[in-house]
Amino acid sequence: MLNPDGAGAPAGSRLLEARGIRKSYAALEVLRGVDLVVERGELVFLIGPSGSGKSTLLRCCNRLEEPSAGTLLVDGVDLMSPRIDINRARRQIGMVFQGFNLYPHLDALGNVTLALRKVLRLSRRDAEARAMETLALVHLQDKARSYPGQLSGGQQQRVGIARALALEPKIILMDEPTSALDPELVGSVLGVIRELRERGMTMVIASHEMGFARSAADRVLFLEGGVIVEQGTAEQVFTSAREARTRQFVQQIMH
Amino acid sequence: MNALAGEFLNLDVMWRVMPMILAGLARSAVLCAVLLPIGLAGGIGAMLLSTSRVRAVRWAAIGAIDFFRAFPPLVLIVFVYAGLPFLGVELPTLASIAIAFFLNASSYFGEIYRAGIRSVPAGQAEAARSTGMTASQTFLSVTFPQAVRNVLPELISNTVELIKLTTLASIVSVPELLHSADLARSLTYNSSPLILAALIYFAILWPLVRLAGRLEHRLR
Ligand SMILES: Nc1ncnc2c1ncn2[C@@H]1O[C@H](COP(=O)(O)OP(=O)(O)O)[C@@H](O)[C@H]1O
Ligand SMILES: [Mg+2]
Repeated sequence: MLNPDGAGAPAGSRLLEARGIRKSYAALEVLRGVDLVVERGELVFLIGPSGSGKSTLLRCCNRLEEPSAGTLLVDGVDLMSPRIDINRARRQIGMVFQGFNLYPHLDALGNVTLALRKVLRLSRRDAEARAMETLALVHLQDKARSYPGQLSGGQQQRVGIARALALEPKIILMDEPTSALDPELVGSVLGVIRELRERGMTMVIASHEMGFARSAADRVLFLEGGVIVEQGTAEQVFTSAREARTRQFVQQIMH
Repeated sequence: MNALAGEFLNLDVMWRVMPMILAGLARSAVLCAVLLPIGLAGGIGAMLLSTSRVRAVRWAAIGAIDFFRAFPPLVLIVFVYAGLPFLGVELPTLASIAIAFFLNASSYFGEIYRAGIRSVPAGQAEAARSTGMTASQTFLSVTFPQAVRNVLPELISNTVELIKLTTLASIVSVPELLHSADLARSLTYNSSPLILAALIYFAILWPLVRLAGRLEHRLR
């Protein structure tokens, strides 16, 4: 589980296998050959300074951002294949955004049902039934008819999680899910993430919630300058990092 | 003072020309019912072309939109109406007007839609695409509804402009409201029919103007 390459584990247990991911914007190389291999049921934390490429890496994993180079397998499906139906593949990969990105013109239920109706082509009734179940998982069944503007940040982010979760993805990528929240609202979102983990959901989370990482993350990856500098358990990375750069960064976010 | 009222607010004259005015109003309503959808739908086409990923298409569309926004609509109507027959194209009057309005109104509505699309944060489409929705599903269900909502005041204001522009149909002898009123004026040697037409326009357009103002206030 803690082996960085997942070597030794049966190939089928690798849910996400991104290798040699590179991404350049014009002359700027943001990702310089990143390997991100995630086992089924694993919760991987991605830390690193602002601009280190965390968001870009996550966005490359569902090709919201086109990698300049690299291979990308999700549950054995080659996402970089020229014949891939990327919309079909994305159903398997949930995404949660720093700024929530809820649809403001739809209520919480509408936010969750939209893809169920358009992508899975469920009937309205079936979509709403499934959306209500999913909203219950994030403890928002009472807010189904509220619009994003009427919800707190923590509630909005939980709707965002429900929107991703409703499609029953194999993995959920979260880009700083709590960093836009007031401190008192962070706990409710982390609580939901913890429950997802207990249900066996595979997740990659870019976040600096160190306490949460310590108690919930299987692995912490430290990204800097577009490369993974170091990885290990939360304990290893936060208290006994091998690399000076890692120690320096951990020092910064602890204060 | 009485002479002024007699010339402009002669109720007797207004009453006598009422059937003509109402017939004109009906014709104006038909014009609006045909031209407004043409403009609204044409605007979507103009917006799609002017935001095309193909640069040549984009530039051509933006050029055409600029041209038709700057081109006086009255001259445009005359050109289409009187000019096309020279090219061997004979069209009914209404079709000529529809073409002229298509070119003019699509350009204006297209620019409004484009501003609306720009006002929707990129994260909206990204969220939708991340759930597996296609580009067109995303546009129809996420981007476009928000775009329209964000520019609703401008769309309504431009609708008011379009309704007023339908009076230009009078220059190609379509007996719409203003044309009928002017005819009534020349028949009665009295300007009251024009005032009556103006009052009718005001009664129809003022609520729309008010609505646009209120929406603008609410959205800011
Ligand atoms: N669309 C873009 N165009 C150009 N540069 C970008 C773009 N997106 C991100 N970048 C750059 O890529 C680098 C990494 O960004 P990002 O992945 O957002 O980092 P992080 O999420 O770790 O803060 C930054 O230097 C950022 O300015
Ligand atoms: Mg980021």
